[in-house]
Amino acid sequence: MTLWFLRGLRRGVVTTRYPARPDGSAEHLPTPPAFHPQALTRHVADDLVALCPSGALRRDDDTLLYDVGKCTACGRCAAEAPDVATPSGEFELAATDRSVLIKRIPLQGGSR
Amino acid sequence: MTPLTFLYAAAAAWGAAALLGLLTARVPAGLMACCALSALGGAAAAAGGGWSLVYGDTPVVSPGGATVVGGPLQLQATSLAGVFTALLGVVAVAIACYAPRYHTPSRGTSLYLAAYNVALVACLAVLAAGGMVTFLIAWETMSLACYLLILRHPRAEPVARGAFWFLALSEAGFLLVVAAFVILSSKTGFTTLAGIAGHAGSVPGGWRAAAFLLALIGFGFKAGLVPLHVWLPEAHPVAPADGSAFLSGVVVKLGIYGIALFAFRLAPPAGTWPGLVTMGAGAVTAAIGILYAMAERDIKRFLAFSTIENAGIIVTAFGAAMIFHAYRLQTLWAFLLIAGIYHVANHGCYKTLLFLEAGVTEHATGTRDMDRLGGLIHRMPRSAVIAFAGTLGIAALPPLNGFVSEWLIFQGLFQGFRTGSHLTGILIVLAAATLGLTGGLAIYAFVRGFGIPYLGMPRTRQAAAATEKGQPILGPGLLAVVCVALAVGAPIVLAALARAVRTVTGVTLGPLLLPGKLTVIPAHTDFAAFSPTYLAVFLVCALAVPGLIYLAGRPRARSVSVPVWDGGMVSFRPRMQYSAMTFSAPTRVTFDALYRPSVSVTRPSDDDPAGRSGPVHYEAQVTPVFQRYLYRPFVRCLEWLADLVRPIQSGDVNLYLLYVFAVILLAYFLGAV
Amino acid sequence: MTPEELRETVARQFGRSLHIRTLDTGSCAVCEQEIRLLAAPHYDLHRLGFFFTPAPRHADLLLVTGPMIRAFAAAASKTYEAMPGPKVVVATGACALGGVYPSDPFTHGTVDAVLPVDVWIPGCPPSPLALLQGLGVAVGRLAERVRDLPFTAPDHPERTRGDS
Repeated sequence: MTLWFLRGLRRGVVTTRYPARPDGSAEHLPTPPAFHPQALTRHVADDLVALCPSGALRRDDDTLLYDVGKCTACGRCAAEAPDVATPSGEFELAATDRSVLIKRIPLQGGSR
Repeated sequence: MTPLTFLYAAAAAWGAAALLGLLTARVPAGLMACCALSALGGAAAAAGGGWSLVYGDTPVVSPGGATVVGGPLQLQATSLAGVFTALLGVVAVAIACYAPRYHTPSRGTSLYLAAYNVALVACLAVLAAGGMVTFLIAWETMSLACYLLILRHPRAEPVARGAFWFLALSEAGFLLVVAAFVILSSKTGFTTLAGIAGHAGSVPGGWRAAAFLLALIGFGFKAGLVPLHVWLPEAHPVAPADGSAFLSGVVVKLGIYGIALFAFRLAPPAGTWPGLVTMGAGAVTAAIGILYAMAERDIKRFLAFSTIENAGIIVTAFGAAMIFHAYRLQTLWAFLLIAGIYHVANHGCYKTLLFLEAGVTEHATGTRDMDRLGGLIHRMPRSAVIAFAGTLGIAALPPLNGFVSEWLIFQGLFQGFRTGSHLTGILIVLAAATLGLTGGLAIYAFVRGFGIPYLGMPRTRQAAAATEKGQPILGPGLLAVVCVALAVGAPIVLAALARAVRTVTGVTLGPLLLPGKLTVIPAHTDFAAFSPTYLAVFLVCALAVPGLIYLAGRPRARSVSVPVWDGGMVSFRPRMQYSAMTFSAPTRVTFDALYRPSVSVTRPSDDDPAGRSGPVHYEAQVTPVFQRYLYRPFVRCLEWLADLVRPIQSGDVNLYLLYVFAVILLAYFLGAV
Repeated sequence: MTPEELRETVARQFGRSLHIRTLDTGSCAVCEQEIRLLAAPHYDLHRLGFFFTPAPRHADLLLVTGPMIRAFAAAASKTYEAMPGPKVVVATGACALGGVYPSDPFTHGTVDAVLPVDVWIPGCPPSPLALLQGLGVAVGRLAERVRDLPFTAPDHPERTRGDS
């Protein structure tokens, strides 16, 4: 009991200070991707739409409808097209309005 | 005009009811008329009994020089018998209100009602008996009439067996009671009860103790003391509901009356050991009674064992009273006698009520098995409320009458330290502890006895289809009102009982029992105090407080009614509930040594080599220890003796002629000598 | 009631204490593990005034995970109705938000089909930090951030610290 107590005193307080201060462990979290619109052509977009296992991506004419809520951060879109989709690093994603989570990414013109 | 006048009126009414019932109960009008006469008789008996509490003992009379076999008919209305007579009257009224809707007019019913009313007259004669011969003949008549009562449906085997147990044990008890009376009357030279009581001191101590013991065992057969109780669970389930109610409410009390008669009037024994024996027998009876009640599924067998428990409680009170008398603590002697008699009245009322309600349940659902019932409070709300009143009473919960009388008995027992003897004090405390165990188990048992049939969901279709239409309400309802009245009006009742007990014991309790108008104290001012009336009023007001708070502080916001949170379950099945046997499982496991259950479990995979699963069959039976280890060996012994004697009756005519010849020779020799 | 009014009501009525009832409508239980971690010393939910309770009658906030399988819909409605108002429903995890099983015949696909949801917390599973932020948003103590995140690179804003 004493050893435990002393060990604890040496380690210090482990409780995070979040949300008052940022938490260091957040850097290692898998997060939903952010898309680069410059490299996002229609062709690539259709590939990614077919690829997403969760149905988070939909193409609507020249816009990629990206539902952040449905994203599971599996990383397949980033693995398929690393110059198009990169981890966004955002994890504070709570929303009171469901439509706020559906992001509209404009596509690059042309279908290469 | 004495209380005896009322008793004559009651006997006449019941006699007429018996005759009317025998002749006309085949038609509904006749049934009603018979029951009306029975109710009138009950009212008269209740009035006479209540009056004789305060009037004192009437002189012994021999009405019109009437005689019974062996001597003149001698009657006396005593105050000791007053409570029992009043109880008899109240029970008779309740059953008379109940019977028309319970029985269907038929030949069987007419015979039954005749036997029942004869039993009522016989009970009254036992209570009003002034002489030994009257008492014994009335007692035997009562036993025979009750035997006929139980045999309402004689074709069924359990009915015959139950009635036979009743009769056999009644006769065994009767034998011992006759012996006790013979001892007393031969030693005192009197045959009137008043004469014997007056000269009880002249009987030598040993003979008095012997007479008392014989009476304890003889009347114990009727009262249901363990191990003499085996007829109760056999006879009660098979009799009609009002017959069972009568047996438990009155006939068992007559056994207790007999014990009280011998203990306090006729043969008060010297020394402490008779009192200790009585108290011990009562305590053991109470504990064993309620323990066996926990293992019963049949409502009426359950109630029968509960009757045994309460008889044990009353006998414990009487035993402790006798101990205090031996130590010259006369106020406690009188106090415990009052407590015991008060418990007699209370138990008579609520046990009768519960049996009548069991009959209503049986008629509404077709079964007496608790595990086939459930949810009856929705189908039969008024009966459920009345049964709840009876349950509160018998579980000794405030503010009802069972609580008051058990409080009195406990307070009497707690004062065992006043005897000054360590051993006696410890034994009295042990008895009180046993009664405490019994009280706790009684609450448990009656939560089960009321909860399983009335609350929850119906377990079978018959239970779901139960209806209250056409079921008797007035009889049980009347008893419920009497229970409440006995509780709230306890001070008045206790004052009357104190007057009655003064006649028996010569002790004036007065301010030592009721110092104020409404407070009760246990014969000593420095021990405890309690007011049943204030308690009842307080509890009712306390229930009103949440209502008032709600009305005053009603939430302003809009409120929504939603169902009770049940864990989000979407469908409840009746089999998800407790069953009667699983609810009592903790007791049955703890007291395994008493029940000695024989358990058999068969799984289909036992036989199937592939080990396939299927329904598991589980059967557990409580071993009837008294029948198996006490009565059966005794009966075998008797059969063996009979076998020894059988050769006398060989059927050989020549041998019989030899007997005749031998007797004639004997007669010559005796005549010559 | 608009979301803003709800926030204000919640902030006023719940003060700094909230009782949470978690409800698993068919999830893979990883969200539950993250939720359970919230009570552990590292994240320590209790320092913020949040508590878990099993009884809906005592709960202010219903934290729902899982895709709302059809077999559970009745129980979920009963749980929601058993909570006294004011109450907040938070749906968390990609399953609850309509991903993963959107067209499975045995699920409703999204919690919204059966319960009225006030706050959505994406993630698969949402990390305890995301859950803390979501709970803070639900009681009006933290500001929503996702509205202003465009999820386009390279000009998405730097990760900033949460507000208090």
